[in-house]
Amino acid sequence: MSKIKIGTTEAVVVILTVIIAHSILSMPRNLIVRTQSATIINIIYVTIICTLIVLLICKLFKKFGNSDIIDISEYLGGKVFKNIIGSIFILYFIASSSILLRNFCEALGIVYFQMTPIIFIIFLFIIGSCFSNRLGFNVSLKVNLIILPIAFLSVAIIFIANAKNIDIQKIFPILGNGFGNTFFTGLLNISAFEGILYLYFIPPYLKEPEKYKKISILSTLLSGVYLLLCVSIILFIFSSFIATNEIMPLYSAARYISFGNFLQRLESIFMLIWIIAFISYLSITCKFAISVFKKLTNIKNTKEIINVFGLLILAIAMLPKNLAVSTFLETEIYSYVSIAVIFVLGITILILANLKKKKT
Amino acid sequence: MKYFIKKFFIVLVIALFLVAFSQSYNSLSIDKLAYVVAIGVDSSQSGGYNFSFQFTTVTSTSESGTSEKSPSIVNSVEAQSIGSAINLMNTYIGKRLNLSHCKVIIFSEDVAVEGISKHIYTLMNDTQIRPSANIVVSKCNAQYYIENSKPILENLITKYYDIFDNSSNFTGYTADANIGDFLNNLECDTCNPVAILGGMNTENADNQSDMTENKASSAKSNESSITGKRGSENIGLAVFKDDRMVGELNAYECLSYLNMTHQAKMFFITIQDPEKEDNYLDIYISPLRSPKVDLNIINGSPYIKVKFEFSGRIYSIDSDREYLDTKKLDAISTSCNSYIESTFSDYLYKTSREFKSDINGFGKYALSKFLTTKDFENYNWNKNYKDAFFSVEVNTSVESSILLTET
Repeated sequence: MSKIKIGTTEAVVVILTVIIAHSILSMPRNLIVRTQSATIINIIYVTIICTLIVLLICKLFKKFGNSDIIDISEYLGGKVFKNIIGSIFILYFIASSSILLRNFCEALGIVYFQMTPIIFIIFLFIIGSCFSNRLGFNVSLKVNLIILPIAFLSVAIIFIANAKNIDIQKIFPILGNGFGNTFFTGLLNISAFEGILYLYFIPPYLKEPEKYKKISILSTLLSGVYLLLCVSIILFIFSSFIATNEIMPLYSAARYISFGNFLQRLESIFMLIWIIAFISYLSITCKFAISVFKKLTNIKNTKEIINVFGLLILAIAMLPKNLAVSTFLETEIYSYVSIAVIFVLGITILILANLKKKKT
Repeated sequence: MKYFIKKFFIVLVIALFLVAFSQSYNSLSIDKLAYVVAIGVDSSQSGGYNFSFQFTTVTSTSESGTSEKSPSIVNSVEAQSIGSAINLMNTYIGKRLNLSHCKVIIFSEDVAVEGISKHIYTLMNDTQIRPSANIVVSKCNAQYYIENSKPILENLITKYYDIFDNSSNFTGYTADANIGDFLNNLECDTCNPVAILGGMNTENADNQSDMTENKASSAKSNESSITGKRGSENIGLAVFKDDRMVGELNAYECLSYLNMTHQAKMFFITIQDPEKEDNYLDIYISPLRSPKVDLNIINGSPYIKVKFEFSGRIYSIDSDREYLDTKKLDAISTSCNSYIESTFSDYLYKTSREFKSDINGFGKYALSKFLTTKDFENYNWNKNYKDAFFSVEVNTSVESSILLTET
């Protein structure tokens, strides 16, 4: 069992970290491109489906106490199976954060550091996340607890400040690309709820394990609300972003905010908040990847491998040849991979382990 | 030894970052930048464009402490695109042009008629241009417009550009048309963009247009009766169909546009006095709520009903008047209603029949009549808007005059 313990609020915030990091980039637009004007209905529908899935996950975890998915894999298929599953999750943690980091740094470079090579911008984030991990998981959690509500609020401010231009009518045509697209192929939008992945790993860390169900449902519903907010900004206020494909739609939306002649150019403040939120996301992802690695290798001191994981993220982030490749990976490939890992692999392991438990 | 290596590594990383990020910082050093406050785009005889850049220098203060008006500098260059124009200008002035304080982008009428989407997309692709930069279509040469845009009551040209569109809040004769909204409307399936109509007043006009009417309501840039120290004026709107300018709106049509899009905050109308035929009353009107739009598609044509509610106060007052009499106020209200209804209706049919351009964004109300995006696309709103029918209902409640109620 882990010595570090996470409170209920901290756990919810950890799960929300992922969705906030994704939303800063092109995720809200990608959701709208898939289901057009029916995206609001689709998000509500997907949130309901996701809540049901989360309830299923809670039920499946019930018989395994404080074990995480790696322990359950060991129970199901032995050490080899555990190593395979563990490696898949480590790879997923590192690859997803690397691609996201690359895209975020590319955008940051375009907006603020046009003369700076991308590797230095990425490296700055890696140093931030490694430093945060070296200080301990508790530090990351506390920082996360402060910055995430602020990041959530920043998006709410973008919505409120631009609300004068809101066109609720853009919710129509109500079925967008059609019934099938909204309710069947639109199910791909479930990949936006990537935070669910952390539900597989937090049970050993929980201060109050009995609140696992509450954490799961609360984080899913909050993710749904946050997604609705992000999608509403683009769909109802900046519908031109759907066609023009802004590099960071929420950043572009923040550029429209001004309060009289006194408060203008507030996007820099938003960017600062998002940079801290992104470093926070990186350190949390890195921490979970390291903890899985620790379980696979039984190493005692994880501090020594923090830098290795950091450099690994840097190396993978540098792999895409250009922004076009990394954007393709994020928008086209990522949703399929996340659905396969989070919703197919994770739930299959849990179901099979439960069946095994039932037989014994 | 380990401690030394660690320290060395930290110093090395800091040094590396200093070198890497200093390039970005240096490129934004204030000494190396020239701040553009306005860009003008004219067509050139060689088939390209003539780009004008207006710069300003900081306010100089005299020994007595009174601030003097800073002169603005206008430089022009002929190029095929805005990027190459900036490049040439960078070479000429020896500094890097920075557009982050660019307040106005002016297109001459002939450029606007040709289509301005490539300039709009290019400018919005630039991280420095703010979405709040105003778009002006100048009835005269854009360079001439910039040269004559001199601040009268302000010290800095930037201050003038900052506030010049504010008059839309209390006159309704111009609008805050900015590049951000222009792009949004350009990409929109259910609306079309507008720009501020600029020009020269009669004293400074390079091409004297015919002033057919001397009424304030039908005034527009280049055709107004204003004379003043500043040559440029901004009255009315330029109407676009997609990225091409297709027409102009005068002062009252602009007022109608602002009311349709719920941007009007207060405005004056001049109506015939119901008591005295040869007398006119100025009524100060303010919208009570946003217009209620009801759209139906009848036999394939849009039928749009728009309902307004205004409150009004009588501004102009003569001797022997009593403005606390309900009957009289009702008569004035009725007169206001019919006047506004007819003005708004004429304006709507002008956008539909003449311009074929839905600048009011009524198309968004048609979205609910379709089940899927494909159905809406098949209907082709922009094509069918020219066949639209309108019904305008105005309910004005003129409450009294302002300070004097009886004379």
